Amino acid sequence: MIITGATGYIGARLTYLAMMRGHDVVMASRQQPAFPDTSWLHFDLASNEVIVLPAGTDVVVHLAADMAASNLLDEVGEVAAAQRLIKSADKAGARFIFVSSQTARADAPTAYGRIKWRIEQDVLSAGGCVIRPGQVYGGELRGLYGTLVKVVQKLPLLPAFMPAPRVQPIHVDDLAEGLLRIAERSEVKSGVYSLATSVPISFSMFLGEIAKSRLRCRRVFVPVPVVVINLFVALIGAVWRTRLGLDRLPSLFDLPAMATASDLGHLGLTLRPLPAGLHPSGDDRRRRLLREGQALLVYILKEQPGSAVLRRYVRALEGLRGGREFGLSGIFLSCPILLSLLGKASWSDAAAGEEFFWRLDAATMLAEASPAGAGRFLGLGRRHGLLSSMLSMTNALAGEAFWRLTRVFVSPMLRLDMTQSKVSS
Amino acid sequence: MSPDFDVIVVGSGPAGVSAAFPLVEAGLRVLMVDGGKQPGVLPPEEDFVSARTHDADQWKWMVGEGFHALKMRDAVSPKLRVPSQAYAFDDFARDNQINGERFIAVGSLAKGGLSNAWGCGVAQLSASELAELPFLASEMMASYAKVSHRIGISGRADDDMADYFGLDEFAHAPIPMDKLHTRLFHRYTKRRIKLHAHDFKLGRSRVAALSADISDRRACDLSGNCLWGCSRGSLYSAVHDLPALRKHANFKELSGFVVDGLTRDCGGWAVTGQTASDGERRSLTADKVVLAAGTLATTRFVLKALGRRHPAPLLSSPSAAFLLWLPSFLGAQRVPAFGLGQLSFTLCLSDGINAFGSTFSTTGILISEFARHIPMSRRYGIDLLRGLLSSCVVGNLFLPGQLTKAEVKLREDGSLVVSGRYGDSVAPLMDEARWKLRKAYWAMGALLLPGSFTVGRPGGDIHYAGTLPMRESPAPGETSPRGEVEGLDGVFVVDGACLPTLSAKSHTLTIMANADRIGRRLSMELSQTKK
Repeated sequence: MIITGATGYIGARLTYLAMMRGHDVVMASRQQPAFPDTSWLHFDLASNEVIVLPAGTDVVVHLAADMAASNLLDEVGEVAAAQRLIKSADKAGARFIFVSSQTARADAPTAYGRIKWRIEQDVLSAGGCVIRPGQVYGGELRGLYGTLVKVVQKLPLLPAFMPAPRVQPIHVDDLAEGLLRIAERSEVKSGVYSLATSVPISFSMFLGEIAKSRLRCRRVFVPVPVVVINLFVALIGAVWRTRLGLDRLPSLFDLPAMATASDLGHLGLTLRPLPAGLHPSGDDRRRRLLREGQALLVYILKEQPGSAVLRRYVRALEGLRGGREFGLSGIFLSCPILLSLLGKASWSDAAAGEEFFWRLDAATMLAEASPAGAGRFLGLGRRHGLLSSMLSMTNALAGEAFWRLTRVFVSPMLRLDMTQSKVSS
Repeated sequence: MSPDFDVIVVGSGPAGVSAAFPLVEAGLRVLMVDGGKQPGVLPPEEDFVSARTHDADQWKWMVGEGFHALKMRDAVSPKLRVPSQAYAFDDFARDNQINGERFIAVGSLAKGGLSNAWGCGVAQLSASELAELPFLASEMMASYAKVSHRIGISGRADDDMADYFGLDEFAHAPIPMDKLHTRLFHRYTKRRIKLHAHDFKLGRSRVAALSADISDRRACDLSGNCLWGCSRGSLYSAVHDLPALRKHANFKELSGFVVDGLTRDCGGWAVTGQTASDGERRSLTADKVVLAAGTLATTRFVLKALGRRHPAPLLSSPSAAFLLWLPSFLGAQRVPAFGLGQLSFTLCLSDGINAFGSTFSTTGILISEFARHIPMSRRYGIDLLRGLLSSCVVGNLFLPGQLTKAEVKLREDGSLVVSGRYGDSVAPLMDEARWKLRKAYWAMGALLLPGSFTVGRPGGDIHYAGTLPMRESPAPGETSPRGEVEGLDGVFVVDGACLPTLSAKSHTLTIMANADRIGRRLSMELSQTKK
């Protein structure tokens, strides 16, 4: 498998994934990458040299792009480079996969979009596959995603464009998986494949989610009419446009919505939810387990658990329960005392009840096996004596009575709630 | 070709070492093989209360780095959840191909066997119980004395249980009781005549735990770590007997060898199996084989060698646990205390059935063990238990083994199935025991907490016996009075499998004495034929 642009944002993830699957990958780039044990092929968009592919090449994934291409000369060069590559692939009998853009259109407002469209036509007429990814995000802070995270990090106020442009995010690893599936399956037909979440979200919501899930901060959005931006961009001229990095803004305002569901279904690709993908580890499984552990441990210990105990809970669940969260609904996570409402009879599904009590027992044992637990469970290091024992027991009985009574009133709602949480988990 | 050894002893638990001593001392070439599992988690060094207060790493011995306690969440006894004792039970059922069907089947592949994790309860059979055995009681008396001196017994007291245990001539002074037990015993002494009329007798527990140093083993210092592993060696384990055996040049050991079969070879027997370290199959030969692998494993070897598919009856004591509350101690401070039986009782029930039980301090037991079972939401359950448990003691109760209707059966594939249930008489006897105990302890100022009396699952006692019983004239699948298997001359059974009866009282010491008796007989015979 030849991958051009293999050191880029998407290319690096695709190369890694392909190698993990046992493919023989040749990285094609301008400079030899510093990865050990990888094959390398010199490939430069700007050079005119003929590209000779190694014998036995099955597939070429063309990712390389000149991100700065803004004039006609570059346009011609990039298209020509792609054409040479298509010819070489054809000669070697290899399939050709081209990673295009959501902005690709004959009349795209940016050169970028127009170049992509022209290459697409060549690829399709040569029987290759074209992939149009949506808004790629996640993983390392590179590419447009890296820029956006940095912008959100720096600016306390963010623009909320009016009317709101809509984007369709896709995690970089999900995209790499999709590309690899197309590369691996020779029966995938020539055509355009759109890979992105099927329901578009507003661009400000995307930035807001970056702030919340990636940077853990809050940002205020200021409405900015698109007309004003367009006017400004037109006024400042090409040089300043490039300098301020506003070249690609017009294509954002002009993004066509993509219908992706059938392509995703065709490839059997399930995309991770945006908040999960924005987590630096690529998913927020661990964070959700931590929240679950936090809720159970606070409920048991009546105080914040130490971080060591909390991490132990997560490790135990990863080791013994496949690391899956239980799916307690938010109300229990934010208000753990409400867990008192959950009795053996609260579960419409016996297996869910079993699992809940397994986790409660695990949290109980882990909470007890700590100095804080010795205080809470045995009363070590606390006041002891007839009075404190009576107090603790009276408190226990009163609390139990109160919650049992409450349970009677809320139990119809509770059952409903449990069914919902099961579905979400 | 002559065999490699005079005798191969299979198993290094209490039965194996007790049979090995007389054989080794007679100069015979003895090989002891065992599963060889060794402890991987160290027990706490400090006393329980200090360790719980200060040790940030307490989870390592309480739950285990591999989360052993959570993996064993549904195991029948807290003991099975203790990380430092995990090795004592590990892989037994799998490697020995033993499956329980609605029956708890536990055994050990550890060096020292189940004695690594036992309750240290010891007792001697009474004259009438001994009379049911197919040999002279005097043979056993000599063996009881020898074994008791070797392992170290404490609890000697001039009390109402002295005759029941019958061990005071060998026993050391008792290990001090905690305040709760002291009060219970004081109340009992005042009301004992009335309590005798209620068929209840109470006295100090006789236990194989040291109240005085014996060689390297040090006396109990009340650290309260009994359940978690005693770093002083106060609690007897068969491992403590191995150094004395190793001093003899004619004693050899093969560890990590899981036996799977016996075949006739060289005019004697070949013991075949697999070595865990290199996975290599080995075959070792000897004139005689002494089986001490624990009742279940031993039974499987014998049934396999006999090719016997008939089910064999299994004795196993029905058990129960309960919680006693001493209101006058409400608010008592938690202090470390001896974690095994402090006081023991007998209770006469209908039809002449005798129950036996002991009571324990709650301090060394995790509150989680209780919290899981009380019908309250967890948060308030913990609150209640924190206030309540320091004024409580826990108790257990055993009934005679014949009340469980259980059997073991060899399957086509060579695995052993253990199945059974309590007999119909158990439920009413347990009910009777519950109200009799409630009355008796009420008279001593303690309340048997409602709902706390819980009958254990069949097999949960881990007192298994009687599958290959010794008989005057043994039928196939039984053993002779010297433990020799009918149909397998030269193969001897010395563990619980050959006991024809299992009373409610602790049977380990009887197994050991019987193993010593068989070992002595065998060594005499072998020495004579050698001459």
